[in-house]
This record gives sequence, C-alpha cells and structure tokens, in this order.
Amino acid sequence: MIGMIMFGVCLFMLLWGFPVAFTFGGVALIFGLIAEGPQLFAFMPFRIMSIMQNTVLMAIPLFIYMGIVLQRTRLAEQLLESMGRLFGGLPGGLAISTIVVGALLAASTGVVGASVVAMGLISLPVMLANGYDKKLACGTICASGTLGQIVPPSIILIILGDVLGLPVGDLFKAAVIPGVVLVGLYIGYILFVSWRSPGTAPAMPRDSDDSRAQEIGKALMAIIPPLALIVVVLGSIFTGIATPTESSALGAVGALVLAVAYRQFSWRMMWESSRDTVKVTAMVFAILVGATAFSMVFSYTGGDYLLEEWMLQLPGEKWGFLILTMLIILVLGFFIDFVEISFIIVPILAPIAELMGINMLWFAILIAMNLQTSFLTPPFGFSLFYLKGVSPPEVKTTDIYRGVAPFILLQIMVLIAILIFPAFFGMSSS
Amino acid sequence: ADKSYTLRLAETWGPNFPIFGDATKNMAEMAEKMSNGRLKIRIDSANRHKAPFGVFDMVKAGQYDMGHSASYYWKGKVPNTLYFTSMPFGMNAQEQWAWFYHGGGMELMQEVYEPHNMLSFPGGNTGNQMGGWFRKEIKTLEDLDGLKMRIPGFAGEVFAEVGVNPTNIPPGELYTALERNTIDAVEWVGPALDLRLGFQQIADYYYTGWHEPATELQFLINKDVWEDLPADLQEVLRVSMRTASYDMLTQSVHANAQAWASIRDEYPNVKVKTFPDDIFKAMVAANEKVLEAYSRDNEQGQRIIKSQQAYLDKTRAYIDISERAYLNTMAELEE
Amino acid sequence: MRWLIAVDDGLGAVSRACGWVASVAFVLMMLNVFYDVVARYAFNEVSIGMQELEWHLYAVVFLMGIPYAMRTDGHVRVDVLYAGRSEAFKAWVNLVGALFFALPIAAMIAWLGWGYMLDAYHMGEGSGDPGGLPYRFIVKGLIPFSSFWLAVASVGMATFALRVLVKESAYDEQTGAGGLA
Ligand code: NA
Ligand code: NA
Repeated sequence: MIGMIMFGVCLFMLLWGFPVAFTFGGVALIFGLIAEGPQLFAFMPFRIMSIMQNTVLMAIPLFIYMGIVLQRTRLAEQLLESMGRLFGGLPGGLAISTIVVGALLAASTGVVGASVVAMGLISLPVMLANGYDKKLACGTICASGTLGQIVPPSIILIILGDVLGLPVGDLFKAAVIPGVVLVGLYIGYILFVSWRSPGTAPAMPRDSDDSRAQEIGKALMAIIPPLALIVVVLGSIFTGIATPTESSALGAVGALVLAVAYRQFSWRMMWESSRDTVKVTAMVFAILVGATAFSMVFSYTGGDYLLEEWMLQLPGEKWGFLILTMLIILVLGFFIDFVEISFIIVPILAPIAELMGINMLWFAILIAMNLQTSFLTPPFGFSLFYLKGVSPPEVKTTDIYRGVAPFILLQIMVLIAILIFPAFFGMSSS
Repeated sequence: ADKSYTLRLAETWGPNFPIFGDATKNMAEMAEKMSNGRLKIRIDSANRHKAPFGVFDMVKAGQYDMGHSASYYWKGKVPNTLYFTSMPFGMNAQEQWAWFYHGGGMELMQEVYEPHNMLSFPGGNTGNQMGGWFRKEIKTLEDLDGLKMRIPGFAGEVFAEVGVNPTNIPPGELYTALERNTIDAVEWVGPALDLRLGFQQIADYYYTGWHEPATELQFLINKDVWEDLPADLQEVLRVSMRTASYDMLTQSVHANAQAWASIRDEYPNVKVKTFPDDIFKAMVAANEKVLEAYSRDNEQGQRIIKSQQAYLDKTRAYIDISERAYLNTMAELEE
Repeated sequence: MRWLIAVDDGLGAVSRACGWVASVAFVLMMLNVFYDVVARYAFNEVSIGMQELEWHLYAVVFLMGIPYAMRTDGHVRVDVLYAGRSEAFKAWVNLVGALFFALPIAAMIAWLGWGYMLDAYHMGEGSGDPGGLPYRFIVKGLIPFSSFWLAVASVGMATFALRVLVKESAYDEQTGAGGLA
C-alpha cells in the first residue's frame, strides 16, 4: 500500500515544479526511510552502477550531440524545411518530415530518450518558427520519437522475448507491419489536421522567384548532405559495420564533418555543443536515476507483490482476459515504467494466456504496442519529460500533455485493430 | 527452538529465466517443506535488485542473506573464485561433483570465500555448454584469426590467444549484431537457452563445446546468517541446495534435449560442427599458457589447479573405461 | 549578505567545473567510440579495454553533468503551477526542494557510495573480461564523488534561492541557454 500512497504524494509534489528527477528521488527517500530505514538505500550504488554499465544508453548523449550540432549549424533546419518544401503547397509537410525522420531513427535504435531529445532539438524549433501549433508539434515529436520502441530493433521486444521465451527475431518480424501502420496513421492524421485547420500546420512559403523545378533543385541540395549523414548512421547499422550504439558516434562525428564542409565549424561551436549535450544528457539520466530510486522503494515496500495479487484475479475467458489485460497495462503505464510492467505483470499473464491457447507472438505484440503508449501517457510518460527538457520556455507541460492525446488515441486504435484483425497484421490469434 | 527464519536471496537472473531460476525456486520450496515452514527463502530476481553482478557484494555486506549466481563472475574481484564454475578442457559434471564432495573441492572453495565472510555451495549444473553459433564454418586456425566473437571471461582469453577478437556486446544488441555481421559468432549456453534468443535463425554452424564442460552455479550465504541458523535448519538448507543443484542438471539435460529436437526439426539450416584437431591443439596450449599467467604468484590458485588436474587425471582414467567405452560401443553399433 | 553572494558564487563555480569535466569526458567518449568502430571495421582490431573505457567516460558524462545541470536549470520541471509565478514562489519551491529532496538523496548516495567504492578498492577489483581495465574502484568512486558535488549543487540551489528571496538576483538571469533549459 505504501507504494500506492507514494505515487499519490509524488504526483502532488511534481505539480509544484521542483525538478522531476529530484522529486522522484526525494519522495522515494522519505518513504523508503519511513518504511525500511536507511539501509534500503545501500542498493542505490548498485542501481546507478547498472545504469553506468548499460552501454545501450550510451547512444543517448551521442544522438543528442548529433542533434545539437545539426541544430547549431542550421543544417537540420535546412533539411526539414527543404523536405517540407518538397511537399510543395501541402500543409503539414514539416510534421510529416519529422515523422519520416523519426521512423528512420526508430529503425536504427530502440532508445526512446535518444530519439525524442534529438528530434526535439532538431525539429521543434523549425516547426515553431514556421507557425506550427505548439501542441501539434510536441505531439508529433513525442509520438515519432517513441516509435523506436515498436519499430525493430526495440528494447521492449527484446525484454518481452526474454520474459515470454520467444525468439527475438520472430518478434522483430511480427512488429514490422504494426510499426508501419502506425507511421502511416500518424502521417494520415497530420494530413487530416492540416486540411481541417490549416493554421495549425501551415505549408512552407514558396520562394516566389523560383520555378518549381528550381525549388526542387534547391531543396535537394539542402537535403542531400544531412540525409547522407542519416544514411551513414542507418547504413552502418544495417550493414553491420556498427552496433546501434556505435552508429550514434558515427552520427556525432559525421555531424562535425558536415559542419566543417559547410564552413560552420568552430572550436567554440564544438565545445558549446558538448556542454549543452552534457546538460541535456544529465537531465535524461537524472530522471532515470530518480525513477530507479522510486521503483526500488515501490518494490521493496511490497508494491510489486500487491500488483501480482491483483493480476491473479483476472477472468478466465479469452476476450474478457485480453481486454482487461490490455486495460490494466494501459493504466499501469500511466504510473510505472515498461521494464517493471514487463517483469512483474507479463510473467503472471503469460501462463494464463498460454492455457487459453492464445498465440504468444500476437500477445507479445499487443503488449509491446500497449507499452510504447506508456511513454506518452501523462503524467509520468518519459517522452513527455524528455521533450519538455529541450523545449523553449514558451512550450508548457500542458501543451505537451494535450499534444500527445490524439496520438495516444491513434495508438489505441491500432492496438484494437491488432486485437480484432490479427490476420491483417500478419499474425494469428491462436 | 521453533523460531522461524526468513532468508532473502538475490539471484543474478531475471524472474523468468528458465532452468537457472528454477533451481532457486526448487531449493526454496524444499527448504520450506523440510523445515515445516520454519525456514522460508524469499527470492529477489534481477528485476527487483537491479544488480545482477552485485550479488557477491550484496551478500558479503549482508544486504541479502543468500545469493544465487556463478562463481566465475567474481574473478575480477577475487581471482581464485574462477575455478569453481567450470574450466576449459576440465572436468565434466559428474567428475566435478565428485571433486567437490570427495576430492577436496568444497574445502578449497570455502577457503576462497571465507575471507569475504561467505560460504559457497554448488548451485546447479548446466552440463556441457555449446561452443557457440558461427555464421561461417571454421576449418583452419586462419578462420579464427580476427574473428569477432562475443565470448566473455576466461574462455574469451583463451580464444584471444588463438587470434579471436573477443567483443563485448550488450545482450540486448546480440541478436542484431550477429544478424548484421557486426560480430561473427556468439557463445551463449546450450540449446534450451540459445533457442530463445533466436540465433538458429541467423547462424548455420553450431559448434560443440570445450570451454565450459560443466558449468556449476553457486549458492552464496553470508557467514553470520549461516552461523545464526540452528543446526537442524543448517542441515535442511545444505540438503536443499545440494538436491536443487542435482535437479538442475537433470532439468538441463531434459530441456536441452527437447530444444535440440525442435531446432533439428524446424531449422534444417543448422549444422553441428566440432573444431578440427589442430585448432583444439592450439587452444589446449593457449589454455595452459593463460592459466599459467593467471595463477603465477598465487599459491592458493596453483593449489586449486593442481587439485583439479590431479583429480581429473584419476577420474578420467575410470570414465574412459566406463562411460566413454560404453558411448563408443553404442556409436559403433549405430554405424 | 555579502558573504551569501560570495558563497553562492563559489558554489556556482564548483558546479560549472563539474560541467567542464563532463564536457571533456563527452568529447573523449565520442572519439573513443568512433575509434573503436573504425579500428574494428578497418583494421579488424578489437580491444576490450577500449570498449570498457567507453562506458567509464559515459558514466563521467552523465554523473558529473547532473550537478552542472542543476546549477544551469537544465533539469526538467512540470510547469503547470511553476511557470509564470513570481520569483518568490519559485525561490521557495527551489529552497524547500533543494533542502528536503535533492540534498538528502545526494548526501545519502554519497555516503553509501563511499563504502561501495572502498569495497572495490580493498578487493583490488578489476574487469573480469580479457584485456579489460583494472582499478574498478575509480569508476565506482564516481558514484560518491558525483553525489558529493550534487549535494554541493543542492546547497548552491538553496543559496541562490535565498539571493532571489532578498531580491538580489533573479531566475531569468540564470537560464537563457537558448531552447535548452
Ligand atoms: Na527501434
Ligand atoms: Na556460456
């Protein structure tokens, strides 16, 4: 029960505006001291050490650096604006470009903190400068930055593979169609919104002197170099030259090379980018450290056993079970992170699902789709904090909360579609 | 005298890691039943303590009463813990258990763990581990030269001696790294656990093992906690651990046989290979060299190695005329 | 009053120094990872020691960055109530938060992390992998070391809040790193 009260208190404390990371940590400390005493926190060095040794997360500072360098040298801006222009008079072009870049990043890594922050740095300022609605811009970035969790390779799928005993390769294959459908729906939604209310996602203004052919030529000139960088990053992963983590270093060094090529390089720029990278990285990892203190107190005061008890009382009939399971995971996703859900909840559900003859691959994809939503759901969705951490002050937390709402709805629609029409997504339900 | 005890155990594995995790559950269940509920063991898996390789430190410091892990994980902290898991070209499971219980192995193990205020007990055996998944066939020593392989620990050092580049890849990136040729080979455990990671889908050559012929896990107990237990519960715990260790070997044999059958049926691409003799000769030499360097200036380490080698010579001579002779006969009959 | 400003300026300088260390570590880490990829691909050379150095540097980046981000207001806040409030409101939130949330948790981790490091030192712990790095106590020592500076930065947050409360300084002057805070 202590865990649940701690949630409530933490939520209330977050509202006051003290940094999220230390609010998590401070509330956890107070509750941990009351419930278990100071010795409980002797586990913290071990937990911090395991974050230090988690080299998959090393992609975070490197992608952030790439994003900052591209932003400072205005190369990112040129890329996105040119891509937006290529869409001609089409409103929403910038947002669509953002989603495309987000999907490409997603296919290269599964680290959400890295993609959301990099996309936030690169495309948020451009969209805002071009008169985009703040909410739409934020929603687009959070949603496309979070794609990394469902589009393979993905950490959620790897963990689920481990928990459910399914081959990772099968899971990766099964997640491709749902991922593509999600990307398609995001683009469709942008098209729809910008058609309904053009003011929220204005088309890029045309350079009046240029013919369409000249315009396309100019756009291509601006697109090719940064696009080449993306190709290097992705290509190095797909051809096996580098692991996803290592490719982020190629991207960071590549961005510097581009800066040199475009005469935008200076030692000062390199140093300041590095300092900003440290600041943003620290923000992301402070949240991870604070959250690990929080989840530590939650488990060690029996919160996980309580959850287990609840889960064991689920109905024993297939559709009732599935619907309730999905609802519970969705609601839990508002409060606790996907790793905890995968390790505490999924192992309880798996044998029940297996007994009912449910296809475990399908079940895993349903859970993965559901879990990636948890990155976006207020108040504890990590993607929301990450984006907030790199947005200009005029973007308020509430803008982000409201901006992701339609994308959350889209994800729930896809989830329901996979539930009802598994065959369309290349799976069977039993 | 009827005071009950609850011991908290931290294991290196996740909550649903098959076979390894079953060993702790099995042990806890037996201990509770045999003690009529007076000895309870609460298991915390890696998702709870988040420190899979902190088990040694946590049991030592008393944050946990017990641990379940593998002794060779601590070789960076206490070099002589290396010898109590499995050694390349060393004893098989039955030989190693005989060494532990009758050949002085237990005494040597306690001698190593004693200064750290812990007791260590055998904690379950995987049996012979497979030599790993390779994307290309290994025919000569040159094929190993510059080969990038995920192989951790001591075996990695031996492989490095014959030209392999041991590479650290986080487990979460292993499949992708092998699939995309970032690395050329992966060593994991054996069919039952390898199947889950899906290597059979992306690598055709499955090599037989040499480097971990009898991987024994370990139970760790904080010494103060052990001494605090009444004699009857100490005995209950000792028997539970010993039985759980034996049970894990039988379960490993069973699960590996089953998994191997399904790999054979569903993945005809997979070919089982054994390294050619000249590679083995080079690796035996490399093993001796690495071992010599490792135990130089370490009297205790040299004693352990000597004890193991002497025991292996003795038991192997007998195994040769019994198990091996029998398996050879059977193989000939099949031909 | 004057001593408060002097103390706070001193604390601010210390936190910025942490940021300097982290920034240097970042550049080294980027070059380190880049070199490792190139060495493996071009020269087919793998060094576990160099691979381990990557995460040693990456740990410096985020651990030493945390106190720096604290001084430069880089840590994300939920701004539903906070934004648009008076300087006094912000100062009180930061004063109370720094003293009751950030400082205790930082001090606690620093204290417990010290024992964690000593243990590694006494055992002479090193890497368990072939060619790995020795002296693991150094990287483990980063935990108490950085937590100590985080505790210092927390005190700095409190002293700065006091400066704002006596209207000697204001929050807007501190931020302003473009869109990065
Ligand atoms: Na991904
Ligand atoms: Na192994």
